[in-house]
Amino acid sequence: MIGAGPAGLAAAEAASRNGTEVALLDASSRMGGQYWRHRTRVTGYRSERGDTLFAKVLAADSVTYISEATVWSAQRDGDLIRVNYLQGGSESSLIAEKVILATGAYDRTLPFPGWDQPGSMTPGAAQSLLKGQGVLAGKRIIVAGTGPFLLPVATGFAEAGAEIVGLFDANSPLRWALSPKALLENISKFAELLYYAQLLRKHSITPRFGRAVTAFNDGVATISRINPNFAIKEDGSESVQVDVVAVGWGFVPDVSLGGILGCSQRVDSDGTVIFDVDKNQQSSQPHIWIVGEATGIGGADLSLIEGEIAGLAASGQKIEKSHLLERIRKQRFADALKRTYPVRDGWRNWISPSTIICRCEEVTSQEIRDSVSELGAEDSRTSKLFTRAGMGLCQGRMCSRNVSEIVSGITQCAVVDGERIAASNRPTAAPISLGQLADGKNSL
Amino acid sequence: MTQSISFTFNGSAIECEEGQSIAAALIAVDERNLRSTRFGNEPRSIFCGIGICFDCVVAVNGVANQRSCLIEAQEGMKVESAL
Repeated sequence: MIGAGPAGLAAAEAASRNGTEVALLDASSRMGGQYWRHRTRVTGYRSERGDTLFAKVLAADSVTYISEATVWSAQRDGDLIRVNYLQGGSESSLIAEKVILATGAYDRTLPFPGWDQPGSMTPGAAQSLLKGQGVLAGKRIIVAGTGPFLLPVATGFAEAGAEIVGLFDANSPLRWALSPKALLENISKFAELLYYAQLLRKHSITPRFGRAVTAFNDGVATISRINPNFAIKEDGSESVQVDVVAVGWGFVPDVSLGGILGCSQRVDSDGTVIFDVDKNQQSSQPHIWIVGEATGIGGADLSLIEGEIAGLAASGQKIEKSHLLERIRKQRFADALKRTYPVRDGWRNWISPSTIICRCEEVTSQEIRDSVSELGAEDSRTSKLFTRAGMGLCQGRMCSRNVSEIVSGITQCAVVDGERIAASNRPTAAPISLGQLADGKNSL
Repeated sequence: MTQSISFTFNGSAIECEEGQSIAAALIAVDERNLRSTRFGNEPRSIFCGIGICFDCVVAVNGVANQRSCLIEAQEGMKVESAL
């Protein structure tokens, strides 16, 4: 089991029910993934589900939990699968008959002038500082972007004593009307919405829609009204002094490890690259199951049921029809989320020629534009070769999709699936130094 | 109760709680500029917060490019913006 977030924990717990031996590897020092972050105990909406899973997994004799273990690669070894990981500065490996990948996701970001300045961060970063570290990222905070994740972030900050200067979603909640069936099937979601609505009212936070942070400079955020295609409307931009703008545009699945293992991928309706899995969550590769965000962004509820199904399947236990029906229901809600909170192309007009697009290599939008119009680049890969966009430490995790979309905006050619898939895969899933590689593995 | 520990950032002493990441400890004392960029010399801070973006990299005890959002501060650690 790789990854101890909701999906991975659910899989480990399910597999442990018949005593199947499970090694649960996770990069963090605490279980829970990015969703159940905690210093002392988990807090937030229905967080007791996390506590219950932690307790079950830790109590299971057949589960070995290996924390602070970053899996950087994996390969087939005959009928078995070798999983290579870094822990405490040296490399080790485990050999498994079966592998379940639950590698999760990270915030999707869009560039805007000043997004590289200190104080601009993802909602996930703000949340990790608060929940994981007990540190408020600032006193005056704007939370913006799109999607329901903005609600726990904004209310979490308010509860911790910060002033939420604004909560802006680019999309209108009326878009939920596009998905009546998914709403009716997931009535319990209304309770969650009510939970956050009460917290918003308690702290006098009024969410505003059709707005985005379109610039940030020296602590001054520009909020613009945008149309449904995300183009800035002429009337009504406002400037506000803040410490932090936490801006996120949904999530990007981490598909590196499954890609290394040759699991088949496709492009999802939100443009992210995900894995093809069958009804038991099995990938195109034998003995490899994939669960959670890497099979399509869907949130913790979907991750939990996917994890349970894969855990049962990989350990040879029976999967009930009710499991499959629950997943269908949660999947429909996940699809509705993507329909309600799209990210439209208009953001490409928020950036100025000097806006940094590739944060690592400090490549500006003008340089990317020149690589197309002056040097003849036709896709993100060629643009990258000319400009180094995507060649830095993060290996294009932050910018590659945005570079693709910017190039596509200039060439007027849609980004093809092959380009999206190629740009989402890397030869290693985490950095490893040549020294660590050369030292050889620890023997177990 | 969490214990207080001390490390240095660019030579200045920083106090924080045991178990906090280097980035969290620095932001808690309003030390937001973790490093300057190579070409533009622009200040950078924590961005993704979960080890993906590498924007918060610092040198830790002489080893460059360490993600300050992931590494826990340790007593006596020497953290620098750049080597």
